[in-house]
Amino acid sequence: MSSSREAREKDPLRFWCKPELNRPSLIIGWSVDAGRLGTRVINYLNRKLDGRIFCEIEPADFFPLGGVSIEDDLVQFPESKFYASDVDNLVLFKSAPPNYAWHEFLNLVLDAAERWQVKEIYSLGGMVSPGAHTAPRELVGIFNSPELKVALGQYNLNADLDYETPAGQRPTLNSFLLWAASRRNIAAVNLWVPVPFYLVPMDDPRAQKRVLEFFNRRFDLKLDFTDLDADISRQNEELAEVRSRVPDVDEFIKRLESNLALSTEENQKLATEVENFFREKKT
Amino acid sequence: MGIVLHKQPELNKPVMIAGWPGIGNIGLIAVDTLRSQVQAEQFGEIEPWDFFYPKKATIKNGILQELEFPSNKFYYQRLANRDLLFFSGEEQPADSGRMYAEGRKAYQLADLVLDVAAKFGCQRVYTSGAAVSLIHHTQPPRVWAVASRSDLLQEVKSYRTVLMSEVEGRNGQGSITGLNGLLLGVAKKRGFEAVCLMGEIPDYLAGVPFPYPRASQAVLEVLTKLLGIEVNLGVLDVMTAQIDGVINDIYEKFPPEIKERIEPRRLAAQPKPETITEEEVQWMKEHIDELFKRGKGERPS
Repeated sequence: MSSSREAREKDPLRFWCKPELNRPSLIIGWSVDAGRLGTRVINYLNRKLDGRIFCEIEPADFFPLGGVSIEDDLVQFPESKFYASDVDNLVLFKSAPPNYAWHEFLNLVLDAAERWQVKEIYSLGGMVSPGAHTAPRELVGIFNSPELKVALGQYNLNADLDYETPAGQRPTLNSFLLWAASRRNIAAVNLWVPVPFYLVPMDDPRAQKRVLEFFNRRFDLKLDFTDLDADISRQNEELAEVRSRVPDVDEFIKRLESNLALSTEENQKLATEVENFFREKKT
Repeated sequence: MGIVLHKQPELNKPVMIAGWPGIGNIGLIAVDTLRSQVQAEQFGEIEPWDFFYPKKATIKNGILQELEFPSNKFYYQRLANRDLLFFSGEEQPADSGRMYAEGRKAYQLADLVLDVAAKFGCQRVYTSGAAVSLIHHTQPPRVWAVASRSDLLQEVKSYRTVLMSEVEGRNGQGSITGLNGLLLGVAKKRGFEAVCLMGEIPDYLAGVPFPYPRASQAVLEVLTKLLGIEVNLGVLDVMTAQIDGVINDIYEKFPPEIKERIEPRRLAAQPKPETITEEEVQWMKEHIDELFKRGKGERPS
C-alpha cells in the first residue's frame, strides 16, 4: 500500500495546499438541490473569484461506491471539495450529500471550519415552490444563532419562519448542519430560495441570482451579473416559447401567476411538458 | 458517541430485554408492552446522532430550536423476584433507507446496549422478533426460540417454544435480520446468555406496514413465564382485535388463486410447507395500498 493511500485512509480530510485565510466565512452548496442551486452558485462564485480546490473529503466512508452513476453520458462520482480564492475571507464547499454517517461527515466539515477559524457558515437550499417562475424570489434565512440573525437583518431576508417537519418527512441536511454547528458554537444560517416546482430538475438562474446578490453585498464581491442576467433572459424566452407552443402550459402558469392552485395532474403535466421541452432543446 | 445515564439504579443481576422495530413490530411491541406493564422507569439513553438521521426539526421565528432524533432509551424496574433492564430503539441504524441495521454502526450500537447490561451486572439478554411462517392468520402463532448456548435451549424449550430444528423444512437453520438478531451475536461474543423469542407471522403478512400484536402477545406469554412474572397481557387485546379486522378485510380482497393456496392452512394442525410463490409475494407488495383502499380505509399504525 502506498503512503499516499495510507494517508487517505487514515484522514478523510485530504489537503492539496494551504491557502491564506483570514477568519473566512464558509459557503456550502449541495449537489442534490432543487434548481441545481447549490452547485450552480458555488460554480458561479468559483468562476468569478478564481476558486481553487485546496481540500477534499475522501468519499469511502460516506457514499456507496459499488459503481458509478451516469448522467447525460457522463460518469458521476461523489465529490466533497473545498475551494479558496484571493478573497481571503471566503471558503466554498461543494459536495454531494452523504448517503450515511451524516454526523461524521458534517463533523469533518466543521473540523475543517474550526481549523480555518471560520466565522460564519452559509448553506444553500432550493425550496420547491408551488408558485410561478415569474413570482419574486424571497430569500429565507434559518439561523442557529440570534446574533447572526440580527447581523443579517439589513439584507432583506425573511428571517421569521415558523416550521415543523411534517409527519412522514425528514429534516434537511442543512438543518442537521445548523444543529451540529451550534454544538460547536459556530454561527450558521441556511439560505433558502423558492424554486418553482417545474424548474426543480433544471437550472433556475433567477434563484441563483437572488442568493448571489446576497453574497455580493455581504462580502462586497463586486460581481458583475451581466452573464447571469443573460441566462435569466434566455430562460424566460424559452419558457415563453413553451407557453406559446403548449396552450395548457400557458394556462397553468397563468393560473399560478394569479395565485390559483393546480390539481396534482395539472402540476404533473406542467412539470413534464417543461422538462421535455428543455430536454429537446438540449439535444 | 456514547451512553448517557440519568441515574445509577442499584440492580441485582438484572435480565435485559431489548427490542427494535422489525417485521410486524412483533419484538418491539412485546418489549414495550412488558416495559409499560411493569412500569419501568427510564434512566438512560444512547446519544443518537452518530447512528441516526434526525426525524424532526422545529424552527421558530427563523431560529432552529430543536432537532429531534429517533430515541434509544434504557429503562429499569426492580420486581420482587427479578430486576429488569429494558432497551427500546425507535429505529434501526440503517444506511440509505434500509429497514434493518447492518455493518459497523449496528455493531457499535449493539455493543453500547451491552455495555449498559454489563455495567449493571446483567448476565442474560432477551430479544424478540418475527418468525415468518406458513401459518394462517386465524391460527394462534407459535413462538420460535434460539439461544446462544445449548443448555439455554433446554430451558426455553420447557416454556412451550419451538426450536428452529422442530420447524418443518428448517433443519435448525435460519437467520434473524437486524439488531434483534445482531444483539444476540454480540452478546454471545461477550459472554452473555442470549435468547431470542420470535412470534410467528403469516408469510403473506410479512411485508404489510402494520403491526401484528397477536404474535407479540404469544411472545409475551412465553417471556413472562421465563422471567417468572405475571402481567396483564389483555392490554394487547384491543389492538389485536383491530388488526384482525383489518387483516380479514384485506384477506377477502386477495385474488382467488392466492386464497386457494392459503386457505388450507386455516385447518392445518401443523403448518405445511405450502408456500405462496415469489410472484404472489410481489403481487401483494404492489397491491397492498389498493387493498387498504378497498378495505376499511386507514392503515393502522
